[in-house]
Amino acid sequence: MSDVPAATVVQDGKLGGDVPKGDAGGGKPRTPYKRKLSNYLLDRSLQLRYVLLVTILSGVIAASLGFLIYQQSATGSDSIAGDLAELTKHDASLDDFRDQEVDKLHSDDRKLVYEMVGVGIGLVLILSAYLVLMTHKVAGPLYKVSMYFDRMADGRLGNITALRRGDMLQDFFGNFREMHEAVRTRLQTDVITMESAATALRAKASASGELADALDAIDKHVTQRKKQLL
Amino acid sequence: MAGPGYKRSWKNLLLNKRYQLRFTLFMVGISAVLMACLGWWVMRVANEATNVAIARVRGEACKKIPELTETPSTDDTAAVPMKLDDGSGSEGSAQPEQPPTPPAPPPPRAPPTVDGATALKAVANLWCITPASCTPAATEPLVIRARGCDAYVKKKLGDPASVEALRKAMITVVRCEGGQTVSVADAPEAEHHVTVQIDESSMTLTPTVPNDYADTIVQHWECEMRQASDIDAKEHGRHIILWVLIATGVVLSLGLAVYGIKMTHRVAGPLFKVSLYLAKMRDGRFDKVYSLRKGDQLVAFYDHFRTAHAGVVTLERADIDQLKAVIAAAEAAGCGDHEAVAELRKTLARKEKSLE
Repeated sequence: MSDVPAATVVQDGKLGGDVPKGDAGGGKPRTPYKRKLSNYLLDRSLQLRYVLLVTILSGVIAASLGFLIYQQSATGSDSIAGDLAELTKHDASLDDFRDQEVDKLHSDDRKLVYEMVGVGIGLVLILSAYLVLMTHKVAGPLYKVSMYFDRMADGRLGNITALRRGDMLQDFFGNFREMHEAVRTRLQTDVITMESAATALRAKASASGELADALDAIDKHVTQRKKQLL
Repeated sequence: MAGPGYKRSWKNLLLNKRYQLRFTLFMVGISAVLMACLGWWVMRVANEATNVAIARVRGEACKKIPELTETPSTDDTAAVPMKLDDGSGSEGSAQPEQPPTPPAPPPPRAPPTVDGATALKAVANLWCITPASCTPAATEPLVIRARGCDAYVKKKLGDPASVEALRKAMITVVRCEGGQTVSVADAPEAEHHVTVQIDESSMTLTPTVPNDYADTIVQHWECEMRQASDIDAKEHGRHIILWVLIATGVVLSLGLAVYGIKMTHRVAGPLFKVSLYLAKMRDGRFDKVYSLRKGDQLVAFYDHFRTAHAGVVTLERADIDQLKAVIAAAEAAGCGDHEAVAELRKTLARKEKSLE
């Protein structure tokens, strides 16, 4: 059984050529993997759920505390404006000065709001981008394992490649790889057993047509199984 | 299948610690950092607002207690003479008490009849560094043009004579050109004097007590107490904001930690379940695959796994069919005892067992 290759794992390999073509036994057909920005959202429901939760939460915290900041600032400005009005009510020459100061205070308050809105939007954007990258490290391995599952569903148990550096769920992928190698090795052993038995029984098949037909069938089966294990 | 050993328990919430804690701690960390930074900002602005509010409260001057001054009047209804001690040491003696000798009235002080021009001249002398640096006018702010004017004005306001000159000239505000404006009322009060009249062995204070003196004192202290209360309330408000922020931060972090673990458990749960099946498949057991629980995520991923499982089962069944056919044919051909057939039987038995 030297023509059945042993299972190999490519370290830090890429997934490019491993993708099965067409529908795979009930699972959705997979498109070839390319490194594109849109590919960072591999599992939208999983990734967007977490991204939205964290960004909305951060937005709510920032908005609430931002409102508190604005409220406190506006209260201080109103208080100063009231004091100024009180101090300058008997001196018309200070009206311009007072108006100028009040305008400045209100302008500062508006500037504060713009600053906070800017910081909030920046925060949400940066956080979203980071979270998409972070969740991609979970969605990526799941996507890869799903592809191997599709291949297994198709009856093909070829080589598997390792996860990329930085990917999460390494333990889970390790479990999967152990299972895959164990099943593959067992099937390879079975192929060897069947092939050896067929060879041994072939000499006696000349006396029985039924046995010859069965051996022909198992030869075909072994040939097909070898292709599946490549 | 819930997997051997798997129980619905809070202890099982952390099925995949690395994944779950990483995501949960990230979420909690982001919230904590946001709360800390913005909370610090809130407190900074709140402190400023509180200080402004407190300054405003302090800026509202309470009605002052009128100064007790000597009076030339001998009218008993207008003044309450206070006899401190007659110095005779005859308390309890049989000698009838002599009515106190009315103190000799002090010479009346001349009323402040400084005319306006003199007062303004005094202001000019005391305040204007050069004649061109300021032009005092009654009831108008005194505008001073000089270098270091703010410091100069501050220094001058510490001089009682300079302040008195302003008051006499009816000037209430001093303003530096291009600088700050200062109210004369903010100048430190001049030292108050009570005239003590010493009459031989007795000392008699003869202050004039206004008719509304008690009411004024009450009003003054009511105002002071109200101000103190207002300031306390504002300080209390500042502390309330701080504690609310801290409490919100703690509750939010704890809530997020619990929610994060529960949320990631919905991902870790299916992964854990699949891992159990993977272990079985590795050991050559391909029994039935059950569905996920309600609310679990990764449903599509789990479907892929089920099809993979079904695919491997199909391979095993195909092997079993082939093995059965060959064994049956070999037995029919009289080769049932052949060593190769015995090997095929063992393989068949193992495969059939794996599908039970």
